[in-house]
Amino acid sequence: MSERFQQQSDENESLLARLAGGRLSRRNLLIGSGAASLALVAAACGDDDDEPASSGSSTTERETTSTTEAEGNAAGDLAVAQTAAGLEVLAVGTYGAALEAAQSGALGEVPPAVAEYVTTAQAHHQAHLDAWNGVITGAGEAEVTEPPADLKATVDEQFAGVTDVAGAAELALLLEQTAADTYLAVIPTLEGTDAIKLASTIQPIDMQHAAVLRYVLGQYPVPNVFANTDNAYSG
Amino acid sequence: MSIDDRQLKELIVESQDLQADALRDTRKSLPDLRDIGRARRGRPVDQDKVRAFNADRRALIRRGGLGLGGVAAAGLLGTSFGGAIASIVAKPASAQEDVDVQILQTAVSLELLAIATYGAALGLPFIADGNATVKTFAETTMMQHDEHQMAFNAQAEALGGERQTETNPKYTPVVEEMKPSLTDPAKVVELAATLEQVATQTYVNNIAMFEDTRSKEIMASVMGVEAQHLATLRAVGALLAGGAPQLITVDPPVDVAALPAAAGSVAFPEPFEGTENASPPEEGAVS
Repeated sequence: MSERFQQQSDENESLLARLAGGRLSRRNLLIGSGAASLALVAAACGDDDDEPASSGSSTTERETTSTTEAEGNAAGDLAVAQTAAGLEVLAVGTYGAALEAAQSGALGEVPPAVAEYVTTAQAHHQAHLDAWNGVITGAGEAEVTEPPADLKATVDEQFAGVTDVAGAAELALLLEQTAADTYLAVIPTLEGTDAIKLASTIQPIDMQHAAVLRYVLGQYPVPNVFANTDNAYSG
Repeated sequence: MSIDDRQLKELIVESQDLQADALRDTRKSLPDLRDIGRARRGRPVDQDKVRAFNADRRALIRRGGLGLGGVAAAGLLGTSFGGAIASIVAKPASAQEDVDVQILQTAVSLELLAIATYGAALGLPFIADGNATVKTFAETTMMQHDEHQMAFNAQAEALGGERQTETNPKYTPVVEEMKPSLTDPAKVVELAATLEQVATQTYVNNIAMFEDTRSKEIMASVMGVEAQHLATLRAVGALLAGGAPQLITVDPPVDVAALPAAAGSVAFPEPFEGTENASPPEEGAVS
């Protein structure tokens, strides 16, 4: 099976290369962009698109105003980064707890696809967490290691009632939808270009996690014409 | 109505001062604006120049000299000069509006191509009379893309742009070239997945270039849905390639225990969505 998947993947790569007119492969670019995005986004928190003009009669005043606005923008983006990191901590922890429950037999028989999903999704959220913490520490703040207390309490309460794979999938769907909706809500509010880019590269992945969870739960994987912010977490 | 000559003279002096300030402060930005204007049609847009121009514009507004507040405070809003200044500063630079419109028009061009491709797929007997879930997916996804193009076109018009009515010029010939080779569901799914990936990555990449917040909101709300189409197609493609088409079902629900382990990860091969196949803002702009 894995050979056939690999073959499929290779064929997709080939087609993409044709469509892209010979650009670099997706894999190569992603390897390069991972580290770069951390540096760029970290820089974005101290960066500002509203650099003051370098000439004119009120340079000092403009610099002061611009610096204040830049600090405000950076502070706003930093707050979003911290919220996002908190959500990612919660996701990593919850998937970890699900894996432990599966290994202990508390969820009954766990299908291989579900085990693979949980491992993959947890790794993705860890990568997201690392990216946001890169932003946060790059701005001189301490990395986020704790989830939002109120959300964690809700998740813990629901997790306590999970006795099978379907229940775990329902809880995971709620988490993924909360994360995706939160990113959707904050993308238009972010000021730094690279912060927007980071959030925009994560939100589709969380949406994809949600689509697969719906499929596993017997639901249509793409139920909405437009994503919404119904489950967005505002901190 | 009586005219206070003294107040009028004061206003004229203030107006002259404001005009002098405006000319001096905008001198630096105007070459950039001209460059951006030249770049509008069919040429790559230098986003750094667009951002720099709008940064200059916002800096002017902040100082009050050219902002609506400054004009109003000087009692000039009702004058022709004040009105002219107000019309300049009340909205982002037209060059940026053009970039926003271009991004939206390019998005429409991709949506229209997706609609046409799913429509063509539904005309193929092995899709129309094949797996019911695949057929439902093609029909539903085509409808969703139609809603997306309508939203993008409406927003392009709201920003003063023209509606895009043509499919994407870069990828349309590729799709047309591939149509004769679409001889089984797997090849159709592969093509559709490629188009969904281009759309997703285009929106991921271009959303950061918007100046207009409403446009950002619309594109962000579409971006994740295209990503879900892509994830679904990847999973369907893998099941077809794995010789398990019976597992492509929602009603009745899939037998999760029968799914291969790879079904849990094939839909999202990377933790971050890439942008390497993103279409630039001007690619599908109305020319």
